[in-house]
Amino acid sequence: MRLILVDRLTEKRFHFYPLALSRPVWELRCGMTSLLDKLLDRLFDRLETFEVAYFVPPYMADAYRESTSRSVNDPASLRGDDLLVVDARVKAAGFDVEPAGPSQVAVDADGEVLYAQIARADLEKLNTESIDALLDSAKGLLPSAEGSVPVWSYTWDLILANPEQLVADFAAAGRCGVEGTVEEPVAIRGSKKDVYVAPGALIHPMVVLDAAAGPIYIDEDVEIHPFTRVEGPCYVGKKSILLGAKCREGNSIGPMCRIGGEVEESIIHGYSNKYHDGFLGHAYVGEWVNLGALTTNSDLKNDYSTVSVTLDGKQPVDTGSTKVGALIGDHAKTSIGTLFNTGAYIGAMALIAATGKPLPKHIPSFAWFLEGVVTKGFGKGKLYETARTAMGRRGREWTEAQEAMWNEVFNMTKPVRSEAVKRGRRLLAAGKFAH
Amino acid sequence: MATVQERVVAVTARVLQLDPSEIKPEYTFTVDLGAESVQSVELVAMFEEEFGIEMDEDAALAVTNVGDAVAFITKVCQEQGVEV
Repeated sequence: MRLILVDRLTEKRFHFYPLALSRPVWELRCGMTSLLDKLLDRLFDRLETFEVAYFVPPYMADAYRESTSRSVNDPASLRGDDLLVVDARVKAAGFDVEPAGPSQVAVDADGEVLYAQIARADLEKLNTESIDALLDSAKGLLPSAEGSVPVWSYTWDLILANPEQLVADFAAAGRCGVEGTVEEPVAIRGSKKDVYVAPGALIHPMVVLDAAAGPIYIDEDVEIHPFTRVEGPCYVGKKSILLGAKCREGNSIGPMCRIGGEVEESIIHGYSNKYHDGFLGHAYVGEWVNLGALTTNSDLKNDYSTVSVTLDGKQPVDTGSTKVGALIGDHAKTSIGTLFNTGAYIGAMALIAATGKPLPKHIPSFAWFLEGVVTKGFGKGKLYETARTAMGRRGREWTEAQEAMWNEVFNMTKPVRSEAVKRGRRLLAAGKFAH
Repeated sequence: MATVQERVVAVTARVLQLDPSEIKPEYTFTVDLGAESVQSVELVAMFEEEFGIEMDEDAALAVTNVGDAVAFITKVCQEQGVEV
């Protein structure tokens, strides 16, 4: 059997921006692992062996190929085997399809395919020239599956599910105890069965691991500096460093992050830094982000009403939750003292200079936020230079495929950015004339 | 109607808070007129606003002196059908 994971450029994909601008949705994280890991684990529970192939938005295919040995966007993977085609938004938990079952198709309320089970014999009846053609023909010719399929709808779903998922993932990992180094005195609250310190991890003296309300998983080669308090449930990824941090419950951090200050119920992808003081709560932070000292986000409104997020720069979307912090895209950088409003959207590659006031709730990708307005700044070339430097410092390469992908992201996000730049110009001109 | 050069000088004077008489075509924005990097970005934005044009930021920021800015903006205006 072959599992085909599909991430199509649909309207619903946009719900996962800015994080999904540069990665398939299944590379987003919740708990200790990615959504991909969870889907694969779910199937491994039922099947001992299966192949995996991916279909991603064409503009990111070359870049994604660099990070996987599996087939990406190859129509040949649509032929010659039983297929289980699964949309990137499908939640692993509750996805109870029997892989060896009969051919059938499940769609969402808008008719988009969530999964298609296709027996090899039935493939001959279908159009296998492309993933879109396959899904369209499968929808027309195969019987509909019964029952509902749980899906992730927005990025904040992952944030809100993170604490519970951390508990489930810790139990699934089945590890506890100290295999790394713990320098006394370190206080472990709660049951020691709810703490795992992996080999190579180093916990300095005067650290508190509080597992009373949930488990704590400290992965390999993590270093935790004195006066850090880690409250479970929490996952700290490989080679991350906590610098006197106040890690409240529900965080997924790393790998290779540097985290200080106060962090609560947030998901932080690899290679991102929040080295200094400042609060990050109910936030989702991409890769290679650098948050300057005292950068802080609000995650709760003063009137306790539900938080809205403006994904497209125009229409707010009600999250239905009273707690949602910032969504911060890959390679975004903030200056010291940056203040993000509740439910802020910070585009990928955005560069932000603080104003002393909470910033607008939507800052487009590739925006240079200077003097309180969105500008074109010094252009994307300078941002690429910075990205290349940041990655080089951690032994990672900025490749041609990545640059091509980001060029496409730049073009895709241009209309929203251009509007914001025009507004910024008008504000700037009004300010200058006023002088 | 003011010339492109007069308008460029007026915008530059406003952004950099200078007297227009201090601004000569051969003067560079950074060394002679003291523009900080953020002010260079502001200058590009204000030229766009003044002339109603869109400039490529990399090309615009490569322009170093007032006279070259006048020539560059004149060219962009022609390309974008803006009368000056």
